[in-house]
Amino acid sequence: MEIIALYGPYLLISGCVFGFFMAWGIGANDVANAMGPSVGAKALTLSQAILVACIFEFAGAYLAGGEVTSTIRKGIIDPVLLADSPELLVFGMMSSLLAAGVWLIIASFKGWPVSTTHSIVGAIVGFAAVGISVDSVSWSQVGSIVSSWVISPVIAGAISFLLFKSVQSLILNTKHPFDNAKKYVPGYIFLVGFIISMVTLLKGLKHVGLTLNFQESLTYSLLIGAGIALLGSLILRSVKNTFEKRGDVIFDGVEKVFAVLMVFTACAMAFAHGSNDVANAVGPLAAIASVVQSGGQITAESTMPWWILLLGAVGIVLGLAMLGYRVIETVGKNITELTPSRGFAAVLAAATTVVLGSGTGLPLSTTHVLIGAVLGVGLARGISAIDLSVVGRIFISWIVTLPVGAGLSILFFFALKGIFS
Amino acid sequence: MRSTGFTDIIKKSPFGPIQAHMEVSKLSTDELIIFLQAAINSNWEQATQSRETISDLENQADTLKAETRGLLTKSIFLAVPREDILDLIKLADDIPNTVKDISGLMIGRKMEIPEQIASSFILFAKEAAAITDAAAEAVDYIDELFQFSFGGNAATKMQQLLEKLDSLENKNDQSEITLRSELFAIERDLPPVNVIFLYDIINKIGELSDRAEQVGHRISLIASR
Repeated sequence: MEIIALYGPYLLISGCVFGFFMAWGIGANDVANAMGPSVGAKALTLSQAILVACIFEFAGAYLAGGEVTSTIRKGIIDPVLLADSPELLVFGMMSSLLAAGVWLIIASFKGWPVSTTHSIVGAIVGFAAVGISVDSVSWSQVGSIVSSWVISPVIAGAISFLLFKSVQSLILNTKHPFDNAKKYVPGYIFLVGFIISMVTLLKGLKHVGLTLNFQESLTYSLLIGAGIALLGSLILRSVKNTFEKRGDVIFDGVEKVFAVLMVFTACAMAFAHGSNDVANAVGPLAAIASVVQSGGQITAESTMPWWILLLGAVGIVLGLAMLGYRVIETVGKNITELTPSRGFAAVLAAATTVVLGSGTGLPLSTTHVLIGAVLGVGLARGISAIDLSVVGRIFISWIVTLPVGAGLSILFFFALKGIFS
Repeated sequence: MRSTGFTDIIKKSPFGPIQAHMEVSKLSTDELIIFLQAAINSNWEQATQSRETISDLENQADTLKAETRGLLTKSIFLAVPREDILDLIKLADDIPNTVKDISGLMIGRKMEIPEQIASSFILFAKEAAAITDAAAEAVDYIDELFQFSFGGNAATKMQQLLEKLDSLENKNDQSEITLRSELFAIERDLPPVNVIFLYDIINKIGELSDRAEQVGHRISLIASR
């Protein structure tokens, strides 16, 4: 108790710094996966992608980031068990931020594919299980998080498979693909708007002063979906079927219609990414803040201060604006094979899955969900060549990241504990 | 920068290098016409130059064949069966090889084409080059076929391209018969060894059009799956 009273503000400020830095790193690095496909498919230019990402990452993080943040904050560890020694929770969360940050920096230098989500979850479980007690970890919650890591790419794959199959039979395999694309694409745009707003509204926007029941959420979501679809069809009006001549062969311009759709799915993906990944940065910070601000009281009921999500959202946008363009450019260049008709199916499936995760408070790996979604399109024979060995590498990155994150946070935890006692 | 592993999943389409390979085949059959024209005019300097170009093109084709195979490692999941792609590149690679054989054989023996059959001969070779062009067009169109998931309009258009290929090949068969009968009519007056090699060259040019046609058949197999 005295430690919190004595050092509280310092702990909180350093927590803010670490959390902000994590958010900055997420913005610089991970947003590229969300925006890369749209840039690669030339649906958006690089600067448009940055703008879209800034707006929708911010909106996602601020409006829909609460559930996952609260899972990281108080879902993995049972805070009530720590009521007598609240400083341990503060040290632990601080260590987790440090551990994940250090591990991600190492991975950056080595070029390893490492998930921020896995690092932070591994770190929290690590310090709690070893530093406090095995019972302090809410293993059932950890179990459902880990199984969501396996299930979410599969769900995304199934959705993208079905989406692309529907595109095949409604648009591509028809006599007039261009006309049919113009006819059906507003429908897909409606889906984008509807799904994102439904999940966001259902989870409630209490922290911005908006509380809706299911009926209201449904009505508003239908309206938002319809509004966005209308906007889409207005844009589509100006899209003309220009045939492109390459050598002796004439290529149909149907992809131009899908490029419009992809702008919408890119927004959805940025929103989804923000809503899920902001928690990796500010979840631990939220735990620190609630302990420090209540003067050492750990109560499961306490609400999260609004500025925490704001801090995370600003951090992501800053990282994105400062370094994101480079990573987005690289990712975009590497996936030019993903044309808009494929890209939208993969991205929409991934965004839907991630937003569902955000709604249910499950911290997912956006990258893995995207990989699952791309696989789904590939299985529908939509992508000419897919490297399945990536799936194996994902498993390896789990097996390495979880214990490393845990080990590092245990180290930092005991160091902090030693310093302050 | 940290690699997120996401971009690693999508690999380059193996059809890219196959299309480049067909472009090279096209160039090489075009060069063959220049070569034959030079041989007919007994302009061996020009022919030697052409022969060098043909050799270069054959090397380029080999590189592209290797590149295609490099894109087909075991862990890659393909939208089109691996065997079909391997067969396609194997067949396609026979074209620049055969062109090189023809030019090598003719330059080595400084083969003269008898004046009486020269026009039929060059027509026959030009038709073979046209079939290669048609096959290259169909290979190019695989992109579009794939983009439209092997169905709809694109499939119909591909069918038309392949029919055009078939009709060119039929015409070429007729030209081969004409050329052979013209050669047969004058063969008594020519040195026998030269005649044997002339027939050999005709066979090889016929092989060119056969290969190009088989490329088309392989594509129609790919298209129908």
